[in-house]
Amino acid sequence: MAILGIATTELTQTVAPVPPRNRRIKDLLLNQQTILFLVLVAMVVVFTVLDPIFFSVGVFGNILLDWGPIILIAIAETFVVISGGIDLSVGANLGFSGVIAAYAMKSLIAAGIDDATTIFLGLLVAAATGMFVGYVNALLINRAKLVPFIATLATLGAAGGMSIVLTGGAPIGEGPESAIALSVPWLGPLSWPGIVVVVIVIIAGLYLHKSRFGRYTYAIGSNSFAALAAGINVKLHLTRIYLLSGLLSGLAGMFLYIRLGSGAPTSGTGNELVAIAAVVIGGVALAGGVGRMSGVVIGSLILAVVPSGLIIIGIEPNWKQVVIAFLIAAAVSLQALRTSSTRRSK
Amino acid sequence: MTTNDAPLYEVRNISKSYGSVVALDGVSLSVRAGEVIGLVGDNGAGKSTLVKALSGAHQPDTGEILLDGEARRWKSPHNALEAGIETLYQDSSLAPDLSVSSNVFLGREIPSRGILGKLGFLAQKQMDNEAHADLERVGIAVPASNRPVSQLSGGQRQAVAIGRAVSWARKVIILDEPTNHLGARQAKEVLEVIRAAKAKGLGVIFISHTLPHILEVTDRIVVLRLGKVVCDAPTSDFNVDTLLGTITGLITTAPAE
Ligand SMILES: Nc1ncnc2c1ncn2[C@@H]1O[C@H](COP(=O)(O)OP(=O)(O)O)[C@@H](O)[C@H]1O
Ligand SMILES: [Mg+2]
Repeated sequence: MAILGIATTELTQTVAPVPPRNRRIKDLLLNQQTILFLVLVAMVVVFTVLDPIFFSVGVFGNILLDWGPIILIAIAETFVVISGGIDLSVGANLGFSGVIAAYAMKSLIAAGIDDATTIFLGLLVAAATGMFVGYVNALLINRAKLVPFIATLATLGAAGGMSIVLTGGAPIGEGPESAIALSVPWLGPLSWPGIVVVVIVIIAGLYLHKSRFGRYTYAIGSNSFAALAAGINVKLHLTRIYLLSGLLSGLAGMFLYIRLGSGAPTSGTGNELVAIAAVVIGGVALAGGVGRMSGVVIGSLILAVVPSGLIIIGIEPNWKQVVIAFLIAAAVSLQALRTSSTRRSK
Repeated sequence: MTTNDAPLYEVRNISKSYGSVVALDGVSLSVRAGEVIGLVGDNGAGKSTLVKALSGAHQPDTGEILLDGEARRWKSPHNALEAGIETLYQDSSLAPDLSVSSNVFLGREIPSRGILGKLGFLAQKQMDNEAHADLERVGIAVPASNRPVSQLSGGQRQAVAIGRAVSWARKVIILDEPTNHLGARQAKEVLEVIRAAKAKGLGVIFISHTLPHILEVTDRIVVLRLGKVVCDAPTSDFNVDTLLGTITGLITTAPAE
């Protein structure tokens, strides 16, 4: 029966049944994940040819340690941006959570608590601090009706400022001495925190693409009225997303503490831009509703490889800003190209 | 299907203002099971605002909402959906970046079986298959239910939105200008969908500017002008000219009931 023959009649006119072969190859080449992966491989090859030391477990271990906090806040940014928002506070929150956790661990060690317990409690404090900032973001967005850009700009300032005020600008150490040892790679280039990060990446990817939580995130970013009209509690879901973003920023703060052995107030400064760059390079649309975790993972790896690569081949590391700027511009124009060739307007 | 006498869904004395604009001013309206109401009025008359009050997307400033004779209050569309009231909004109610089946099941996702489902994971295959079957049952043949809605034509999108509303509605279905973006033949098919919904015993509220369609498929017509009901009478009392006159205000006396 064909009560609504709409689709049947229109389909025959508007949709080619199977794309021809060269069209499929073009699609594959325009596929952002494919291009990103090729760029990453090309970078590794070029750096290795220029200096074979680059292709070593030691260098990869360092790159992965650089990558840890970046990918954690990039995952946070992925959920936020796909939901149609933006979180500018992830970097400041990283530093703030690291500082608060550092104070907590300093007190615990002074009180004679053992290292393992102290690190575990420090982790909880960092997570709770990060989520607190995330909750403030959610309140500003849902209750005070601020747009995410302004709400998270406010918490960026507040968290960043408070870190400096509390510490006077100096890193807070005198914590568990064995923390730094945790960063030593033992499984190839992977250290304990590195393994935890990889597990978080996998779980986050599964939740983004396979779960109700991820589905609602895309729906809200794609058309928040449609999400509301479908019975989704949009405000509650946004609260959860900004809490998740805060949690991951807090974990990134703890990751950096373990790596450096102290909580530095400015350790996250500017990292929100790196996270946003990773997300954009990875193919997430700033307008919301579009993007894949795999793209963000490769995008963040590229950003982690650039600085180490530049140092290895003896180029002034400050060039990395220029390289990253170029990558962002290339990624965004590629996205525009793809959108106009395969998608109709929203 | 017999038309029951008691109203299935009813609003009494609903008002709603946007700042200083009074969009609805003491509107009352009711629909019975198996009845199709035509809601007509000029642009800006308040039809879409009334739809949003009926669907829970807006809370009216004053007035009562009754379902099966019981007073209800919709805090959000979620409550109205749970009560069996489905709505097709004038501006797309679809998420363009999601697939056809994700849209059909949006807000009603089927969890995976066992522990994965408890953890929040979804039975995507099952939803793809069921969405396909649902749309076919309504008469919509959408090729791949895993295609993003953004890749469909305007008519196909409208078909998916109508199909979703029809396949979930248990009591009332509200269609705000469902024939927009559609050609003449496709619009006729929407009228068939409305007749099928009526035959199933649903209460239908149908909004359109195409007066012949309204005259063809409705049992009763409610005319809104500047936020007020100016006429509520059986469809048989109207022809295109008297209906147009009532909408524009050239005819001020309601036709005899
Ligand atoms: N979100 C809104 N904000 C302000 N005014 C609105 C809004 N939605 C509708 N209105 C106003 O309310 C009145 C009724 O609009 P609407 O319900 O869309 O009418 P219709 O669907 O009959 O064309 C119009 O004057 C319109 O401008
Ligand atoms: Mg309208």
